[in-house]
Amino acid sequence: MNEPPIPSGRTAIAAEPVISLNRVVKSFADFKVVDDLSFNVRRGEIVTLLGRTGAGKTTVLNLVMGTMRPDAGSVRVADHDPFRAFKALRGRMAVSFQTDRLLPWRTAVENAELGLLILGRPRREAREIAVSWLDRVGLSGAANKYVHELSGGMRQRVSLARALAVDPELVLLDESFSQLDHVTSTVLRRDFCALARRFEKTCLLVTHRIDDAIEMADRVIVLGANARIRLETTVPPASELGRLRHDIETALGPEAEQERSQTFG
Amino acid sequence: MTDRAMEGFAARASHGRVAAVGDVGAMTIVVIIILATMHVVSGFVPDYIMPSPVAVAKAGWKILTNDMLHVMATVGRLLLALLFSMIAGVLIGLVMGVSTTVRPFLRALVVIDTGIPALSWILLAVFWFKDPEVRIFFILTLILLPFYALNTYDGIRALPKDLVDMIESFRPSRWQVVRYLIAPHIVPYILLTTKSVVGYATRMVIFAELVAAAVGVGSRMGLAQSSFHIDEVMAWTFLLVLLNMALQLVVSGCEKVALKWRPEASVR
Repeated sequence: MNEPPIPSGRTAIAAEPVISLNRVVKSFADFKVVDDLSFNVRRGEIVTLLGRTGAGKTTVLNLVMGTMRPDAGSVRVADHDPFRAFKALRGRMAVSFQTDRLLPWRTAVENAELGLLILGRPRREAREIAVSWLDRVGLSGAANKYVHELSGGMRQRVSLARALAVDPELVLLDESFSQLDHVTSTVLRRDFCALARRFEKTCLLVTHRIDDAIEMADRVIVLGANARIRLETTVPPASELGRLRHDIETALGPEAEQERSQTFG
Repeated sequence: MTDRAMEGFAARASHGRVAAVGDVGAMTIVVIIILATMHVVSGFVPDYIMPSPVAVAKAGWKILTNDMLHVMATVGRLLLALLFSMIAGVLIGLVMGVSTTVRPFLRALVVIDTGIPALSWILLAVFWFKDPEVRIFFILTLILLPFYALNTYDGIRALPKDLVDMIESFRPSRWQVVRYLIAPHIVPYILLTTKSVVGYATRMVIFAELVAAAVGVGSRMGLAQSSFHIDEVMAWTFLLVLLNMALQLVVSGCEKVALKWRPEASVR
């Protein structure tokens, strides 16, 4: 991957919120998945929603994407209700999912340009932008390969290129690095952060991995059952990350430490 | 892609070539056995029961030199009806897939159509239409169209939700969802349907021509049968088998081009 200079990050962020959730409730049948959740994500900020499986993280992401409507409370994204004004956020938001979700009949570059074509950009311009993004994520030599010819890490890079190519104000990442091996995940996380900070993207990252949360984010929100906030904290300098990790593990509960020890053997 | 995977693709490509050579070899052996059986049986029974392979070859030559117009008429009818049924069936399947309001009505129509025997359509067409071309087109379309409609609808239902959510995240128009997601996804279903129905369609066009037309292979076969020229019936039959094989080859060629993105899977 080409190495753009990595800005320091975790710098002062303008106060304007891009995402704003206010007392949001969402239930499926009789089960309250999200109960009275409120938080903001400010412009240019990278915020991680961290929680165990079933904590309601993906539901929160779907509410922000506008594919679900809250039962109570309000969700605002760039001053719009993302569900009611679904089309108003066209081109302003992009999502990178847990799996690459590439279209197998399109080559890497054709996948990377998909969002641009949907936004109505001319084919030639879309291709040029897609090629440049593939170059940025280190896949210039694989532009014309089909999906089955790419490794898992390469596919995830194409997926990131597809999301970033539309130049969105807001990038949502749903466990985007959790399917990858440790080394590939670390490299991709670092590269993504560099690109996000370089292009001043506002990012909401959903993950269950503490490493992803503290290495990427300016701020971490730890969710417990029913997406209730257990801890909300800015990420401190590297020297204090040990304390943050301890606080997060405490917030997640005793199983978090056990999971960590199982992950790292 | 790993070296191991590359080796796998190379091995599968090589395996494919070996399999193709094996198929031709097996086909040759089966044809020789059939001809030998015909030759032996023709020595014991009258010509109008089983003609010799030589008599069938002569009849075949006569067809190739004098009756190609009938062959072309049949092939033309077949291709036209296949093309129209494909377009109309896919459009109906698409509407069934994307419109929840119209879906139950179209599905009911298609299901009723699949329950009507081909013979009913043939007999009705003879009553309803004077022009034999219209009769045959009508019969073939009503028989083939449901296959395309139902398989297209099934293809849309099989769309992975992950991909739908992915494309929805870009907030596309309905037309863009069809263009970038649904249309490429259903191509394999359309090709598989064509592969499945091409033999059936060939049999149906012959049957329809036998009943409803004066020009075409079906009508010539009827004429040969009524004048006890069993060698001609056999020759037409062999020709139809060859025609079906040629059509299958054409569809397979289209499949190779249209689905070049799909890796060949093989099970050890």
